[in-house]
Amino acid sequence: MGSAPAQIPTSFGHELRACLRCRLVKTYDQFRESGCENCPFFKMDEDHERVVDCTTANFNGIISVMDPTRSWAARWLRIGRFVPGCYTLAVSEALPEDLQVL
Amino acid sequence: MPRRRANNTHEDDEPSHDDQVGDQYDGYESNGGRHVSMKRKRRDGEGEEEEEEEEDDEYDNDEEEDYCRRKRRSSVRDFLDDIAAEADSGEDEDDEDDAEDGFIDDDVTELLKENKGRMPRRPFLPTEDDQDDVEEMARRIEEKYGSLSRPEQYDEGYGEETTHVEQQALLPSVRDPKLWLVKCEIGHEREAAVCLMQKSIDRTELQISSAIALDNLKNYIYIEAQKEAHVMEACKGLRYLNPKKIMIVPLKEMAGVLSVKSKPVDISKDTWIRMKIGTYKGDLAKVTDVDDMQQRVTVKLVPRIDLQELADKLAGVEFVKKAFVPPPRLINIIEVREKNIHVERKRDPFTGEYFEKIAGMMFKDGFLYKSVSMKSISYHNIQPSFDELERFLRPGENGDGNFSNSLLSGDTKTEHFSKGDKVLVVSGDLKNMRGIVEKVEDEYACIRPDIKDLPETLTFNVKDLSKFFETGDHVKVVSGTQEGATGMVTKVEGRVLVIVSDASMEEIRVFAHCVMKSSEVTSTNNGNKDYQLHDLVLLNDSSFGIIIRVDGKAYQVLKGTPERAEIEVLMYRDINSKIEKMGTTEDRFRNRISVKDIARIVEGPFKGKQGPVEHIYKQTVFIHDRKNIDHGGFFCVKAKSCTLLGGLYARGDIRGGVMDSRVSSLRSLACIPRSPGRPQIRRDERRYQSGRRGHDSIVGTMVKICKGHYKGSRGRVVDIKGQSVRIELESQMRIVTVGRSEISDKVNVTTPGCDAPLYGLGSETPMRVHDSMREPGTPFHDGMRTPMRNWAWHPYASISPARDSFSLASQLERAASPASGWASRNCSAPGTPRESRTHANSANIMRSPPLLVASGMILIAAT
Repeated sequence: MGSAPAQIPTSFGHELRACLRCRLVKTYDQFRESGCENCPFFKMDEDHERVVDCTTANFNGIISVMDPTRSWAARWLRIGRFVPGCYTLAVSEALPEDLQVL
Repeated sequence: MPRRRANNTHEDDEPSHDDQVGDQYDGYESNGGRHVSMKRKRRDGEGEEEEEEEEDDEYDNDEEEDYCRRKRRSSVRDFLDDIAAEADSGEDEDDEDDAEDGFIDDDVTELLKENKGRMPRRPFLPTEDDQDDVEEMARRIEEKYGSLSRPEQYDEGYGEETTHVEQQALLPSVRDPKLWLVKCEIGHEREAAVCLMQKSIDRTELQISSAIALDNLKNYIYIEAQKEAHVMEACKGLRYLNPKKIMIVPLKEMAGVLSVKSKPVDISKDTWIRMKIGTYKGDLAKVTDVDDMQQRVTVKLVPRIDLQELADKLAGVEFVKKAFVPPPRLINIIEVREKNIHVERKRDPFTGEYFEKIAGMMFKDGFLYKSVSMKSISYHNIQPSFDELERFLRPGENGDGNFSNSLLSGDTKTEHFSKGDKVLVVSGDLKNMRGIVEKVEDEYACIRPDIKDLPETLTFNVKDLSKFFETGDHVKVVSGTQEGATGMVTKVEGRVLVIVSDASMEEIRVFAHCVMKSSEVTSTNNGNKDYQLHDLVLLNDSSFGIIIRVDGKAYQVLKGTPERAEIEVLMYRDINSKIEKMGTTEDRFRNRISVKDIARIVEGPFKGKQGPVEHIYKQTVFIHDRKNIDHGGFFCVKAKSCTLLGGLYARGDIRGGVMDSRVSSLRSLACIPRSPGRPQIRRDERRYQSGRRGHDSIVGTMVKICKGHYKGSRGRVVDIKGQSVRIELESQMRIVTVGRSEISDKVNVTTPGCDAPLYGLGSETPMRVHDSMREPGTPFHDGMRTPMRNWAWHPYASISPARDSFSLASQLERAASPASGWASRNCSAPGTPRESRTHANSANIMRSPPLLVASGMILIAAT
């Protein structure tokens, strides 16, 4: 495991949110504090509004990826290049247009 | 290196490149044929991907360099090496000169701006050398392929296009770690997955690759590892995971595990939903507001509130929560205020509308507005029924417009078109055009339009059509609560048709899409739960009647009002229940009438008519006269205005009133202790016994069949013909024929007893007496048997003339209602000994002494 793992969600309630781009799952507060490890350009830690725009609470299933390089599941879900952490299998929303160009 | 690459662009590039490159689709002829062929070749060799991508930048650079070398794209030149030679010279400089990162970045962003969604691996536009040409080509390419872009992840290194083909390439191989299914504690699947994550961070030697917790799979999680031992190691120390229950997932099913498709949550405003929990479970509701953040919706419901209960609760009065749910009813503010429930007028901050807040619940226009979580409603395939919609839309909304909207939104799926249907086009350019269906195929229907100028048949999607009916059409309802009814359309109100039903002659309202043109006429309908013809039923308003006609769902009921024929047409719901009780009543002359007796009317409007009694209820008798065709031949009269045909009175007048009254009173008294189980048919049967077997016969006696098919059954002898005996079985309402030898006089009755000695005496008359006494009930048996034994014979022995009278009595008995004979027989037996008998006897006893004399005299006189 090369890279530093992403933060692990500290609770399981409604605050859990998934990044729309990389599908990393953390709580709202965690996103607000440290942003998304895979998508730093979203700058969620600076712009709190961004957290709401770039993440969603509507997601399905959780996969904890400890070793993305070796995991078949991570590869299948195309998160094999991201840092180890908790991801979701599917999100129900798409990234808004303006954020797609970042 | 670059040189080499320039020379042999075919060979040295790593497969990983391919992925990034090759992830572009086939037509990606970015730099012309050479690249294409390169890619094609490499694509075949795609195996493991994404693993090496170090040379990204370099490669990109190279390719772009190669590209810019060529002035024109030529597929032939792709294979020629001359280009390579050129490239040699220039390449190095480029390689060193370019600031690769910056270079790439610029291009990437540029391209992205032009072509959203595109993930170019290699920038097309070199900042140096032949930029214009290259740019031009790049633009051309983008134009050509820009439409093929997909809105996926864009960032370099991450963008993997999710085509089916690529996904297939990612299927697991034997070298990949395997998936293991591990039993987990319910409700803690996510927690377990996250704990494993934490554990792997803490201890680096954990050898699992991932842990998956699916939302829809409870009780299990998947762990990905090469060996089961690793999984078990991982599960150690985790309370939620059970290391003993580990199962491997076969290779072929691995992909299925991760291919869960989440259903799109598409609840929107004004959709119909049904509640899943709570007091309103199953109720139709309309969404007024959706809150995605909180996963809640505001719905509009027809309230089910018991105002009295609410008032009590608010007043603090102790009340018991009712077990049943109150019926749905719109709230009336005035009523609420009357009950002194505090009503607060509140303004909703979001919508600006006014609500009445009662006991914490929000109301408007009589409806309840409630905020519920999305999990507690179901929004798929909701088909509102006509009644529900009506209840929802009636107040304050005109039936037509809103009906049609809501209907069209939800229910067009259920429309079935068939050939010959008249339809109306409801959307599209040809809206409001009428036509007739010629052909229907799945989603499309061919219509022959009414307008002459148009071509013969036009094809429409069924969604654009709706059935159309005109007044005067004969239709049949094919779905919904009124299913099966036929009738004629009298009025068309938008989507709602008013139909006069053939059967019940009443107007019913149905949606246009539930009916079909047909010439069928339904006349009867007998479901299991329905009431049958000629049933005696209790109505909702506590009156009763007999069903004389069943038409579809409507019942024609002859009400139980004597002297007056009152017919009412009712629906199934108006009928409360069926009256099963077989009542008996007394006729004019105190003869007991029961069902199936023939009665004759002696007074009133129906005087002179006669017929079998079909039902009796509360002194009202329903008689069926087959000669009469009114109301199905039924009429009802008071019991007192008819007489039993074959009743005591009818037999002759000699008996006179005295006898009758006494006899009947005896009879009625005798009836009291009858055991309930005894069928009344017994009496009828007795009555029907054909005559006069004056000789000692067992006719009328209880016997037991001891041989043959009916062995073991008891019955009463009805008739004797030579050696065969016809017996009415006690257990079934049937008369069977058995041989004389197969029956036994020994009938075991409930109270063990003295049959034997009695019968042993050989006299049948006493038996008969015995029978009759026994007949009414057990107490009689008990009471009378023993003393009978003592006393019976003496009187019988002594009263020889009485024997004759017995025969008369027996005649009487048979002809008249049984009890009379019984009574007379009882009379002749000495009363005194019976005084000490049971209450049942006492009635007789009381009367016996005088009766004895009187009846004896009368009998003798009658002889």
